[in-house]
Amino acid sequence: MGIWDAITELVEAAAPWSTADAEAPAQAPEETKAEEPEEEEEEEEEEEPVDPKETFEEECKNSKECAPAKHHYDECVERVTNAEANGGTKEDCVEEFFHLVHCATQCAAPKLWAALK
Amino acid sequence: MLARSCLRSARAFSGLRNGAVHVSKRAASSSSSGANAESPLRLNIAAAAATAVAASSIAWYYHLYGPTADAATPAEEGLHPTKYPWVHQQWFKTFDHQALRRGFQVYREVCASCHSLSRVPYRALVGTILTLDEAKALAEENEYDSEPNEQGEIEKRPGKLSDYLPDPYKNEEAARFANNGALPPDLSLIVKGRHGGCDYIFSLLTGYPDEPPAGAQVGAGLNFNPYFPGTGIAMARVLYDGLVDYEDGTPATTSQMAKDVTEFLNWAAEPEMDDRKRMGMKVLVATSVLFALSVWVKRYKWAWLKSRKIVYDPPKTPNTPPRL
Ligand code: HEC
Repeated sequence: MGIWDAITELVEAAAPWSTADAEAPAQAPEETKAEEPEEEEEEEEEEEPVDPKETFEEECKNSKECAPAKHHYDECVERVTNAEANGGTKEDCVEEFFHLVHCATQCAAPKLWAALK
Repeated sequence: MLARSCLRSARAFSGLRNGAVHVSKRAASSSSSGANAESPLRLNIAAAAATAVAASSIAWYYHLYGPTADAATPAEEGLHPTKYPWVHQQWFKTFDHQALRRGFQVYREVCASCHSLSRVPYRALVGTILTLDEAKALAEENEYDSEPNEQGEIEKRPGKLSDYLPDPYKNEEAARFANNGALPPDLSLIVKGRHGGCDYIFSLLTGYPDEPPAGAQVGAGLNFNPYFPGTGIAMARVLYDGLVDYEDGTPATTSQMAKDVTEFLNWAAEPEMDDRKRMGMKVLVATSVLFALSVWVKRYKWAWLKSRKIVYDPPKTPNTPPRL
């Protein structure tokens, strides 16, 4: 955050007029009633929202940044599934998965926070 | 021998300056003569040895204590959550109370059927999450034990603001029975009670992969979640896109709901945070005013000392006697 944010908030905190009330604000009933039906129609039209987290992380997994982790994970999955088909193995890909997920979430975190409310 | 003693006595007589010259001459001649010369290598041996000892002691230390042994495999430890840039965790930011409102809605509609929030009374919600009327109405939806009447019977009464949020189960056994033996922990202090805090809760809620990685062992009745230590958690994924309908029209994606409910749980764990930061700000304001004041006072107190002038006024003509 910038120094200016800090100053404005300092002023806001010190100012006696910045208060919040527990009482519900007096509503303007006509306006909200007029708007309501429209909003509902819009909501019905809306499709299932798409989770930005998955989109960003998928992008990140396929980015250059996470290429080594993805490579190791894919290789491990291939090796383990082959071994399982040929009679079983004790190996699992949990660690490789960790590294891949760590890389993807790390890369997606700032984008995700910019997208979420 | 004789010459030497003569020299010495001469030096003794000739005063300090000559002696010093003489000594320096001797030193120069002895180092340049070949017989008992100290080679640069020999002179440096002590320094080199000390350096080697220092370096090897560091090496020895790291040999002894450097490598750490982990008692748990990474899977047992769980994936460490990524740090997210939570706004409410910044020094001069408060909780986003709109987010708290959404988070409380998620808690009530999703989590409350399994998790209690037993340290939060309705009155705490007033002004932070709900309005007074909303909180009262919510409290009245639930029944609580009243004081015993004259016959000693305990009747039910509608909830009041001073009541606490109701538990989903009567007791721990009932909770375990309903959840395959696993106990859904109380969420009041969960953000403080887990390493990684908000990041952990958010990652846990959103981190369920579509299917566990190849070869991973998932116990019966458990679900794979990389963030949960051991990776097998009894709680299945609960948040799905579009699960709740936010009153403010925010798209209810999985990560949005997880973010909101996590911020809400952070509020539940430290409801005093906003006030604490406000208090901190007041302290900063007061101390900066006091500091400024003290600087001015110091200037004032020191003014006479700083501005004084000490003057030595020598007599202009020293030979003339002072006029009386
Ligand atoms: C169907 C019941 C159920 C619902 C709904 C549910 N949980 Fe859970 N939750 C559980 C159970 C059971 C556990 C214990 C898991 C274990 O110990 O393996 C648990 C554990 C947890 C934990 C603790 C994990 C840990 O590190 O010990 C958190 C945090 C949590 N749940 C958060 C939530 C949140 C937030 C919601 C709402 C979005 C939610 N849960 C909804 C059943 C549920």
